[in-house]
Amino acid sequence: MAELGIVDIREIIRAIKSVHDFDFSNYALTSLKQRFERLMSTYSISSFESLIKKINSESEFLDTILYETAVPSTEMFRDPSLWRWLREVYFPDTVDRNTGRFKIWLPACVSGGELFSLTILLSELGLSDKVQITATYSSDKILEYIKKGTYDPKKLEVSEENYKRANGSRELADYYRTDKNNIIRDTSLIANVEFRKLNVNFDNVPQNIKLILFRNNLIYYNPTQQDKILQLLYGSLSVSGHLVLGIRERVSGVSTSREFEVVNEAESVYRKRMLN
Amino acid sequence: MGYKAVIIGGSAGSFQVVTRILNSLPKNFPVPVLLCLHRLKHVRSGFVEALSLKSNIPVEEPYDKELLKPGKAYLAPANYHMYVELANRIALSTEDTVNHSRPSIDLSFITAANAYREKLVGIILSGANKDGAYGLKKVHDNGGIAIVQDPNECEVKTMTQSALQLTKVDFVYSTDQIISFLQKLSKSND
Repeated sequence: MAELGIVDIREIIRAIKSVHDFDFSNYALTSLKQRFERLMSTYSISSFESLIKKINSESEFLDTILYETAVPSTEMFRDPSLWRWLREVYFPDTVDRNTGRFKIWLPACVSGGELFSLTILLSELGLSDKVQITATYSSDKILEYIKKGTYDPKKLEVSEENYKRANGSRELADYYRTDKNNIIRDTSLIANVEFRKLNVNFDNVPQNIKLILFRNNLIYYNPTQQDKILQLLYGSLSVSGHLVLGIRERVSGVSTSREFEVVNEAESVYRKRMLN
Repeated sequence: MGYKAVIIGGSAGSFQVVTRILNSLPKNFPVPVLLCLHRLKHVRSGFVEALSLKSNIPVEEPYDKELLKPGKAYLAPANYHMYVELANRIALSTEDTVNHSRPSIDLSFITAANAYREKLVGIILSGANKDGAYGLKKVHDNGGIAIVQDPNECEVKTMTQSALQLTKVDFVYSTDQIISFLQKLSKSND
């Protein structure tokens, strides 16, 4: 497999920015390097030079890059204790008291792991009709993939265990079917989800959100960009809206740490704080 | 001679060895110690506490982009890969498993080797699969010191033997020898 140096990565970032107007320069470099290398091996691109050539000459290549560099969620119901908390504490406390549509946003919906986990949970709680879910990503190809319901069979076993630990009230198998070697999830679960492609400059983010599920995505950015993203999420949350990050992610920027208060430290749940 | 980090990888049978190493390091150990040990994906707590009990230096599961500090041990958190990012920071990742593992020892070692080059000490301990072999090779190829625990001493030999097959390592050491090597490193790094 071709190995890319840091200088190569910076050159690739520059080429993508100038040709396709998408900026990877604030991504965490170590994992980006790995994903560019994986893209090269998947598409049999043998050298750095031929990758640059492809970037420069193929107008459709950006969506492929976004698709291949997106990191899918690991398993459904990752961190079962969070899902138990959502099931037993958060949703019963908040949705019923809410007037109007309860809006939920998944900003980086990459493989549908979080989305299907969430819609299964809401359906079991009988709350599907009370919420409006928006799932966004910057790549059309990713969103199309999710809508089909396809799931990676090798993630199934851990997902099943997670579902049980999360106190799921049925069997996870009730929510998918097996078709040859593929797992197809029940797409009626996501029939009312609004899928939206995020603009490159993120100026079309949804507003008045009560809950943002954004777990293990900040890790792919550098601290400067993490802070910018948190500002954006802050702006889209409604009064006392909640933000869920990954277990080892936290709100740590100078300004952002003032803007969010911790609700559940173990599960990385924050609430928007109103600033005077 | 100016090492910047020590990285240790292990799986089945490595817990006691890591505990002994952490117990014997001086409190002012001059560089960070990265620990990438295979663990259950869904058990988040308990491991770092168990390692801390007898450790002479603080053991922590880092948050993403945390700055690495000397005299501290960083344990790869459950179900995350742990990378060394530029500017001496940790970067976590939930990318796909490698050798069925997340955390992957290979990925931790490769990224540390890229960041620290010849100023890295990599150590592979007892374990039941070949994870870490390629990573240790990268440490060696970048001029760092590659150490493997003596397979004869390992509870499970697969990991150390795989590493030995792939790389001409610098040392094959017993736990006692690993400990005295690190203690010497601590003095010479002062």
